[in-house]
Amino acid sequence: MSENFVIIGAGQAGAWVARTLRAEGFSGRIILIGAEPHDPYERPPLSKAVLKGDATLDSATLLSQADAQAASIECWLGVKVVAIDRAGRNIRTADGICLAYDKLFLTTGSRVRHLPGIAASHRIHTLRGHDDATRLRQALHGHLLVLGGGWIGLEVAATGRALGVNVTLVEASPRLCARSLPPVASNLLAQLHRENGVDLRLGQSVKSLAARENVIEAELADGSLLKADSALVAIGILPNVELAQACGLAVEDGILVDQSGRTSDPNIFAAGDVTRHPNTFAGGLVRLESWANAQNQAIIAARGAMGETAHYDEIPWFWSDQYGVNLQILGFPAAATRCHARGAPASGTGSWLALHEDGRPAGAIAVNAARDLRPLRRLFEANIAPDIAAWESGAATLKPPVPA
Amino acid sequence: MNWSDAASVQDVADGECIGVRVNGTPIVLVREGDKVHALHDLCTHGAARLSDGFVENGCIECPLHQGLFDLATGAPRSAPITEAVKTYPVRIVAGRIEIAL
Repeated sequence: MSENFVIIGAGQAGAWVARTLRAEGFSGRIILIGAEPHDPYERPPLSKAVLKGDATLDSATLLSQADAQAASIECWLGVKVVAIDRAGRNIRTADGICLAYDKLFLTTGSRVRHLPGIAASHRIHTLRGHDDATRLRQALHGHLLVLGGGWIGLEVAATGRALGVNVTLVEASPRLCARSLPPVASNLLAQLHRENGVDLRLGQSVKSLAARENVIEAELADGSLLKADSALVAIGILPNVELAQACGLAVEDGILVDQSGRTSDPNIFAAGDVTRHPNTFAGGLVRLESWANAQNQAIIAARGAMGETAHYDEIPWFWSDQYGVNLQILGFPAAATRCHARGAPASGTGSWLALHEDGRPAGAIAVNAARDLRPLRRLFEANIAPDIAAWESGAATLKPPVPA
Repeated sequence: MNWSDAASVQDVADGECIGVRVNGTPIVLVREGDKVHALHDLCTHGAARLSDGFVENGCIECPLHQGLFDLATGAPRSAPITEAVKTYPVRIVAGRIEIAL
């Protein structure tokens, strides 16, 4: 009998589950359900090329209508799922449709975190979906106030500057991207943004934010007052775990899954931002908010649901593009206590190898030098600490000398 | 076929790749032993140059998102690649690599 595989969430992870199921020969029905009205698309360009106007949503599409039709993937778009009945193995949508499943995938992703106590206004933006990017694009003129010095805040600041917008960026921590970078790399980003004309206010929290008729007014903890035409609140995201929680799946800051993406219910898998999963390099459970995680965990979860014993256990990796500088981050370099440079990353080309106190690798950051990460990844995977002298000298081989 | 000079065989180390321009078209040349492959030097997923990537196991890996292309056919070999990259016929004449655009 033909099986029904249902996927809730039609972003990067959901689309890759659907694609992989078909590519691996699943012949049953695949229903991909997404709350957004758009064909599944990749989010990274939303803060960069799409926001700047250099690319359209089409260029970021992951599964066009034609692709979906050719692969017999049913896309239910603009549809919200409100409940999962695990005992009955079915889900219910907001418009009352009940759909049975044999295997269910939760790829529900994340939503933006909001500042508490701020009244909604057309002048106050967040950025997660394509429609957010369209609205924000229309607001990119005059003066933009960015709240949050993480990756989204920084990429929007860079895009804004490229469009000639005045940008003030306020970050509560004393440095940028403190959760994912060591201080040397935070400093590079701060320098890059200051050189490009961003007014950076680090170590400053926002006491109040209000949208008046024609202006945004913000008061910072040090008492300074800022005025802007628009504001972007970019203070992080929260995993969409509510459906999983309501049906009793194990959830702990993310849906708990094993290395094949299986939740605490053997018929339900999950992948992407929404999961917390084991990672050998991290030495524990992690929840990752990255494009690569959404794609690669989804591929493994689809295989797992088809009975393959595939394991997802990659060293985390992501990238950011700002002012023509490509940063690639491998592992968890923020956890390092020392960084060793190769080339001149602080001046724009080179990399840092980030090590724990005991010499174990924590991660690496490549600045316009993606190739540097390749040999490191191999050593990290093999749990070998790179030879630091060879690394700093730019040598191709980084294996430590074998002791005699 | 119309053959155009692209580079010297010695310009491309074994197992490595270089980016060249042939009549204005960006081309990545890859050498595997005696064999030379020529592919369009632009990833079909992002806007990255494949010649900044890595050659391994008969594939070239895009440096931006780690997607793999088959060297011989240009076919996608891993996510996120879904569209093949164009490949060009190659011949070697007196130590020079020539390709047919």
